Amino acid sequence: MGSLFRSETMCLAQLFLQSGTAYECLSALGEKGLVQFRDLNQNVSSFQRKFVGEVKRCEELERILAYLVQEINRAHIPLPEGETSPPAPPLKQVLEMQEQLQKLEVELREVTKNKEKLRKNLLELIEYTHMLRVTKTFVRRTVEFEPTYEEFPPLENDSLLDYSCMQRLGAKLGFVSGLINQGKVEAFEKMLWRVCKGYTIVTYAELEEPLEDPETGEVIKWYVFLISFWGEQIGHKVKKICDCYHCHVYPYPNTAEERREIQEGLSTRIQDLYTVLHKTEDYLRQVLCKAAESVYSRVIQVKKMKAIYHMLNMCSFDVTNKCLIAEVWCPEAELHQLRRALEEGSRESGAALPSFMNTIPTKETPPTLIRTNKFTEGFQNIVDAYGVGSYREVNPALFTIITFPFLFAVMFGDLGHGFVMFLFALLLVLNENHPRLNQSQEIMRMFFNGRYILLLMGLFSVYTGLIYNDCFSKCVNLFGSRWNVSAMYSSSHSPEERRKMVLWNDSVIRHNRVLQLDPSIPGVFQGPYPLGIDPVWNLATNRLTFLNSFKMKMSVILGIIHMTFGVILGIFNHLHFRKKFSIYLVSIPELLFMLCIFGYLIFMIVYKWLVFSAETSRVAPSILIEFINMFLFPASETDGLYPGQEHVQRLLLVVTALSVPVLFLGKPLFLLWLHNGCSCFGVSRSGYTLVRKDSEEEVSLLGSQDIEGGSNQMEDGYREVTCEEFNFGEILMTQVIHSIEYCLGCISNTASYLRLWALSLAHAQLSDVLWTMLMRVGLRVDTTYGVLLLLPMVALFAVLTIFILLLMEGLSAFLHAVRLHWVEFQNKFYVGAGTKFVPFSFRLLSLKFSDDVA
Amino acid sequence: MLEGAELCFNVDHGYLEGLVRGCKAGLLTQQDYVNLVQCETLEDLKIHLQTTDYGNFLANQTSPLAVSTIDTEMRKKLCREFEYFRNHSLEPLSTFFTYMTCSYMIDNVILLMNGALQKKSVKEMLVKCHPLGRFTEMEAVNIAETPSDLFNAILVETPLAPFFQDCMSENTLDELNIEILRNKLYKSYIEAFYKFCKNHGDVTAEIMCPILEFEADRRAFIITLNSFGTELSKEDRETLYPTCGKLYPEGLRLLAQAEDFEQMKRVADHYGVYKPLFEAVGDGSGAKTLEDMFYEREVQMNVLAFNRQFHYGVFYAYTKLKEQEMRNVVWIAECISQRHRAKINSYIPIL
Repeated sequence: MGSLFRSETMCLAQLFLQSGTAYECLSALGEKGLVQFRDLNQNVSSFQRKFVGEVKRCEELERILAYLVQEINRAHIPLPEGETSPPAPPLKQVLEMQEQLQKLEVELREVTKNKEKLRKNLLELIEYTHMLRVTKTFVRRTVEFEPTYEEFPPLENDSLLDYSCMQRLGAKLGFVSGLINQGKVEAFEKMLWRVCKGYTIVTYAELEEPLEDPETGEVIKWYVFLISFWGEQIGHKVKKICDCYHCHVYPYPNTAEERREIQEGLSTRIQDLYTVLHKTEDYLRQVLCKAAESVYSRVIQVKKMKAIYHMLNMCSFDVTNKCLIAEVWCPEAELHQLRRALEEGSRESGAALPSFMNTIPTKETPPTLIRTNKFTEGFQNIVDAYGVGSYREVNPALFTIITFPFLFAVMFGDLGHGFVMFLFALLLVLNENHPRLNQSQEIMRMFFNGRYILLLMGLFSVYTGLIYNDCFSKCVNLFGSRWNVSAMYSSSHSPEERRKMVLWNDSVIRHNRVLQLDPSIPGVFQGPYPLGIDPVWNLATNRLTFLNSFKMKMSVILGIIHMTFGVILGIFNHLHFRKKFSIYLVSIPELLFMLCIFGYLIFMIVYKWLVFSAETSRVAPSILIEFINMFLFPASETDGLYPGQEHVQRLLLVVTALSVPVLFLGKPLFLLWLHNGCSCFGVSRSGYTLVRKDSEEEVSLLGSQDIEGGSNQMEDGYREVTCEEFNFGEILMTQVIHSIEYCLGCISNTASYLRLWALSLAHAQLSDVLWTMLMRVGLRVDTTYGVLLLLPMVALFAVLTIFILLLMEGLSAFLHAVRLHWVEFQNKFYVGAGTKFVPFSFRLLSLKFSDDVA
Repeated sequence: MLEGAELCFNVDHGYLEGLVRGCKAGLLTQQDYVNLVQCETLEDLKIHLQTTDYGNFLANQTSPLAVSTIDTEMRKKLCREFEYFRNHSLEPLSTFFTYMTCSYMIDNVILLMNGALQKKSVKEMLVKCHPLGRFTEMEAVNIAETPSDLFNAILVETPLAPFFQDCMSENTLDELNIEILRNKLYKSYIEAFYKFCKNHGDVTAEIMCPILEFEADRRAFIITLNSFGTELSKEDRETLYPTCGKLYPEGLRLLAQAEDFEQMKRVADHYGVYKPLFEAVGDGSGAKTLEDMFYEREVQMNVLAFNRQFHYGVFYAYTKLKEQEMRNVVWIAECISQRHRAKINSYIPIL
């Protein structure tokens, strides 16, 4: 529990790592995850650090591994994921590993290249055979067309001349044939026509089966085309256009025999290629399978190695360049473990000189470490979302564990809804080791991470539901109502009683729509219901009025208790940080201010509840009026709640009025007096910086350490911390602002707690509406067909209950509970200006492939 | 679009504008440049770029790293972003994007024609083409022998077609003619783009028109500067000036008469915007060139474009800024790889 109440004590340690053993030591530290490294080379840019070369090498390895994983995935070979994480590779093995991997990569690249080449060849050959097959039909057609073309020229003399000229010059018909991508056909044809001005004939046919594109590997539809043209010039142009549209052009056989020969040749070559390709693929598969076995551990190892070098980059060299100096934050409780890890690392590397550490005093604020388990983690997260606690300050998460679900339940009070929520959370908790829950999507994971919060919220809602006596907006009559209606009848009383009191008789019952029970009549009210609200109120028309009054007072009482508790926690902080004066000058005036006004309000509420009974309720004064009169001192004397009330109230007001100036001026004046009178006292003034060891000697010791370390930047850092200027104006301003905020906050925060009432009212009303709109309609239908209607009604009721009442209302109550904690509770004592302790731990590395593939 | 882009701009283009502003936040900062300049090798440069928005874009490159790979990879990245914007855009933003690509397309066409003139293979030239201005018909450019051929056969269906009206001629394409063709194309392109933005109205016009005016005037100055000592006649020169800038009409007429840098400077003195740019140009080794000054001014205008919301200018500005950034990185990388550190600091800082 101690560890949850305050963050752990940290100390700054200097590790002297012998340069030979640094790697092994860090590897040991990383496995344990003990320490957080400080960056000692902040002003050195990333590429000028010591171990850039090694980091680069790791990146090179990562690149190769990523390539391997990609190839393995492409070959659909399963990648085994190991459960254990192998330790970072020893330095001697790294070179070996690198060599192995590089060899593997070269081999793989060669084989894949060969394979791709073979594949491309094969595809081209297949395309060629297809083309030959298809164009065979074209030729017959072109032969058929030719006569018509020859008849065409006579219409135009010029072209006839051209034509005959060409024939004379021996220009013969040329053919270009090939395959073209389906999408490009139209543009291709258009350009051909435009460039060659119609002196070409293009014939197309679509290939039935889609083929793979040798360049991109995409499977698409192709068109086979055949262009016939006359003349060299046009031929060149046609070829260029074919290039432009990335056509696959193949030589066109002129005669039928040639065609047959080519086809035969092709088929044998395709056969050969197939066998070669199969062999290559088999070999590739073998290589990949072998690689797949070790690739997981390699990936992890390289990741660890890279992490180690990143950490080493944060260390500085000492003057002799023989050892690395690292500065780390380490929890004091784990210093011995740190020592042991260093010994282990040294032993492993077999170095002559062991690495060692010593702690150094510092005035800097250490990071905050609060150890959590799976139960407290969710609550700690709620607090951390507001701000990570300052070092060693009181951690509100401990109290949040109870107050958070409780305040939530006050707003969500319903036995049935709470129970459903509890069951859902219980399901999550019982199955928390199920692997699917851990890897589910974002929303589900959110519920999963908050499962213990949900569990407690559900339980507390069951409790408040019992108190409100609300179960799906209906009352539960567990113990039998303590109100007796029959006692109201005149016949059950003696005649003299009948004369004194207003009782019911037959005519009253017949003529009044609304009947009133009078608790002052003996026998009607038989004492309070054992637990919560009496179920008879469910029938009463003034139920809301009654509940509102109750819930409003309850939320004010809860709120003031909650806030007062916050102020008291502030005292713990002051005690811990040795600022006793703050208790007298800040906390106690704050407490007095709060209690004298609002504590008195609670007193009045409780007093009125206890003192006035059913008989005297008509003369009971209004608390509101009394409370207002406390500040206004009206001339007219009222009865008041109790005798001497006026004097008590005056006294309380005087105390309140006196505490305000103390609150405003007390602390600044005291600090000023300290500064002027006894400045040797040496109290850390602003913020909660560490006050552990700050005597004069140690500051001087610090200085000498710095010179040893030889780091200018470090010195600057310390100087900043030590030379704090005493600025009275600033302190005064801070205190005044804080006080104004507190005094106004007392009023507004109290009002803010009324949200407890408002939300619980809204929740009750909404579930009531749902009941009347659905279930009552469903239940009213006559018995014969009612079942048929009732079934969908219940289903709808269940769905709406879950989505509106549980999810939506639950979310809103959750948010309001979060707000009440963050704003109203935590601003009384919580600074939340710390930084989280992030240890250098291999466990935080992602142990998945998905990252490298992406 | 009607007045009041605030009302309906976000319906169609809000997502993209948000995206482009996010991308702009990823531009290299002054601190990044300071670090980049300190790099000793290209590997260092790569490591530093990894910490920026570029991320692991060089992770799969085997060492040794060449400047050209850095350049290509950066271009690819820009291209990916641009394609994403373009694929998700609606009219009229998509037309705007088309206009933006046109300038790259013109450059590519001219580059390919120059390549064909020098008998280089198309494949070799394709690598040098800017990926943003890539289109299928591009590779067939070397078939054409005259501008009208080029238009009729190849570019009829591309977005470049409308810009060809002024430059249909039967001249053979030699080096000078290609250069003239480029400038004429660019002139009609920039005028058309200007008209488009002007007609669009609203904030887009308010932002884009000054940028395009500046672009037009810059071209006019550069054309004048490059034509000194060539066989280009003054009349021909005047026909190449884009007419949508601030210089139009008097400034352009004066520019056409200019015969050396001093006369050009005198023309610029009449214009408050350009006067300081010309004054900052020095002769010394460490001094800035006119081109640098223009770049700086452009960067400044593009950065300011981000101060207004609900307009298309941000997309233009982002692309230009990114290009400038790429030029800077390439410049630094070149300086590093050639061990020529004296001039490494003369990149154009993006504010």
